[in-house]
Amino acid sequence: MILQQIVNGLSIGSVYAMIAVGYSLVYSVLNFSNFAHGEILMIGSFMGFFLLSVLKVPFPITLALSMVGAGVVAMAIERFGYRPLRLRKAPTLYFMIAAMGFSVFLQNLAIIVFTPNFRTYPQLFTLEPILLGQVAMGRLDLLIFFISLLSLSILSLFIYKTKIGTAIRATAYNYRVASLMGINPDIVIGIVFFLAGGTAGLGGMLFGMKYTTCPWMGALTIKAFIAAVVGGLGSLPGAVLGSFILGMVETFASGYVSSSFRDLFSYAIMIIIIIFLPSGLLGKNTSEKA
Amino acid sequence: MYILEIDNLSKYFGGVKAVDDFNMKLEEGSITSIIGPNGAGKTTIFNLITGIYPPTKGSIMLHGHSILGLPTYKIVDLGLARTFQNIRLFPNSTVLDNVRAACHDMANYSVLEGFFPSKRRYQQEKLIKDRSMALLETVGLADRAEEIASKLPYGYQRRLEIARALALNPIILLLDEPAAGMNPEESQNLMEFIRKMRDKFALTTLLIEHHMELVMGLSDYITVVDFGKTIATGTPKEVQSNPEVIKAYLGYGDKK
Amino acid sequence: MSIYIQGIVYLFSINLISVMGLSLLTGFTGSFCFGQAGFMAVGAYTSGMLTKLVGWPLWLGIICGALAGALISIPIGLPTLKLKGDYFAIATLGFAEAVRLILENLQQYTGGARGIPGIETMDSPVPVLIIALVIYVLIRFYVASTHGRSCIAIREDEMAANCIGINSPRMKTISFFVNGLLAGLAGALLAHYVGFIQPSMFGMAKSTELIIMVIFGGMHSVTGALLSTVMLTSLPELLRAASIWRLVAYGLLVVIIMVVRPEGLLGSWELSIASLKQIWNNLFNRKPSVKEGN
Repeated sequence: MILQQIVNGLSIGSVYAMIAVGYSLVYSVLNFSNFAHGEILMIGSFMGFFLLSVLKVPFPITLALSMVGAGVVAMAIERFGYRPLRLRKAPTLYFMIAAMGFSVFLQNLAIIVFTPNFRTYPQLFTLEPILLGQVAMGRLDLLIFFISLLSLSILSLFIYKTKIGTAIRATAYNYRVASLMGINPDIVIGIVFFLAGGTAGLGGMLFGMKYTTCPWMGALTIKAFIAAVVGGLGSLPGAVLGSFILGMVETFASGYVSSSFRDLFSYAIMIIIIIFLPSGLLGKNTSEKA
Repeated sequence: MYILEIDNLSKYFGGVKAVDDFNMKLEEGSITSIIGPNGAGKTTIFNLITGIYPPTKGSIMLHGHSILGLPTYKIVDLGLARTFQNIRLFPNSTVLDNVRAACHDMANYSVLEGFFPSKRRYQQEKLIKDRSMALLETVGLADRAEEIASKLPYGYQRRLEIARALALNPIILLLDEPAAGMNPEESQNLMEFIRKMRDKFALTTLLIEHHMELVMGLSDYITVVDFGKTIATGTPKEVQSNPEVIKAYLGYGDKK
Repeated sequence: MSIYIQGIVYLFSINLISVMGLSLLTGFTGSFCFGQAGFMAVGAYTSGMLTKLVGWPLWLGIICGALAGALISIPIGLPTLKLKGDYFAIATLGFAEAVRLILENLQQYTGGARGIPGIETMDSPVPVLIIALVIYVLIRFYVASTHGRSCIAIREDEMAANCIGINSPRMKTISFFVNGLLAGLAGALLAHYVGFIQPSMFGMAKSTELIIMVIFGGMHSVTGALLSTVMLTSLPELLRAASIWRLVAYGLLVVIIMVVRPEGLLGSWELSIASLKQIWNNLFNRKPSVKEGN
């Protein structure tokens, strides 16, 4: 039974991880919480849904297209909303408000365009779980877990081993100095948003496959935020770690306490971390320079 | 007795020793400068004094009492005022409002009274306004009182920051690179101004600066810092002829 | 007054009361509160339950609703106000969602998702309107006071504000408390206007709507907040059509405002005798008289 819960926890945790990583990536470079992140994952989820169920596009291509689509939307948001603010050196508050604006805009647009209904992804596998000893693992859960792990590995390879990745990390560490070193912040930030959007879109699709797709699923982003905070905002490994922790806590709370109060546990964890360990488990405490 | 005594002050950020064993005894009414290359830890010293973050070790005594662990606003209340290297005005407020914000001590009407008009309130507000305008006169910004702070030319912004600091009625004024970005003539004016302020308001002034003429011409005492460590301290004459200083700053007399 | 106009006046007044609190907290103190609906829910349910289930008189229930909103701001504010901008925003969001969750799940006491029906309603919107306008005036006074200036300093640059002796935790707590009081009041009034309460009335949509009202008018102007509340409350009622499209437009407008004119409609302009005189002078091209004080 416990093993079962662990598997569940890992599964949902890996979905959270996809979303939290994108969130943390944007935070590490621009130092603000992109509240519109949720709507990007929602768009990815819908794209995947329509591609799979309506256009009957093969699964791998759907995956790729949804990620690219979500990534492009994210880039557009950055280009038209955040970049002008960045160039004007606007205070973080303005970014947050603009993000909120995008969130409201996209969510309600989706309600109109996609109709306020829950969508179910077509079933790709048999429901028969794979048995490993006592533990029954859903094929879907396994797939989600592996896709997430694969994507995270590719992402981390990209960030830590490529030149562009180094540019991203440099910009995250010190924006001004990086631009003085010849790194074009506009391009780097555009790429960051594309990556963040892509992972979010993927996460949205995976979530849609496991649960459901709907215009207001962007609210999932709060979980991503909690996960990112627990792991340490701005830290990518932290986002992943936090996501799995959150996934576990939620599954166990849901299983052993009460499923309707599950979210309360998530909020409680967030509050506890924010108060007692604000830099999270793996994050660095960046205090303001006078 | 020294108005401010700093002993063994150190601040380590992880492995980086931003400030290492800094010592200073400020004489009341003196003008003391802290000089050293960029990144030497000078602003960190200011931050430690004003309680922005706690030191790793060491002590800071104001009038013989420790101010370690006090929140910044309390330290300011005790009489320390500072300006910032990168100018931190209230950008969207007017010049006048920037100074008035610092006069909050002159109003003792309560929060509750703040929601209503009252005679006491209007009287105190008038006093605040008069005093703020007077301070703006002193720095030559009175005719720009209603302008938005962020739209002021750079030099005027610095003046405004100083006026705001003076509004606090400080006993010690901490100026972080007040002459940054100024040409020689402006620096000269600033020098006169600081001297005048010291005389008029009986201020003790602590200065971080790179402009050597300003430092040498103004200071009673100079402390030289490098890589967080104090490498020399004394009168301008003593410091100028100190071989350690000369070694560290060959050609350091270059103007910025 | 027709029922229809009455409705608009009620809604406008209730929104205005909530917006005034938010204007002080987010607009003038700079703390981005994303959970206004949570405080309103606390006020609404407190008043609703006290009047309906315990039988207390209307006005007492409303006062208690306001106080409940204010009181709960203390334990919530204590850990969250020291947080950085976006942490604070999400924390307040979490609070509002947590309130909603709790209300939805405590079936026995709060009626769960269906809520509490049959709450006593008010006879006329006029007292509510008067209260709302009085609150507008009070907030104007506060913002212009020394305490208001301290809040503005915190908004502009909290560290610099500390360095001129402003006790920012205290000032932020006061703003948060006032906001809780006003939001609780608004929530209670909402309960007694609509006649029933449900957790769904106090979701993210409500919080977002209220923040948008503050932003539109200009975060630096109380009058602006009032005007945008007028517009954003009456327009949809008058237009009736497509309420979802309204939100789409709002979202887009918020982004456009931030990019093009973050000061909002009115910037820092406030309605006052001096400013009216200035408009008069400008209109008739007279030479402005000797510069008057504020």
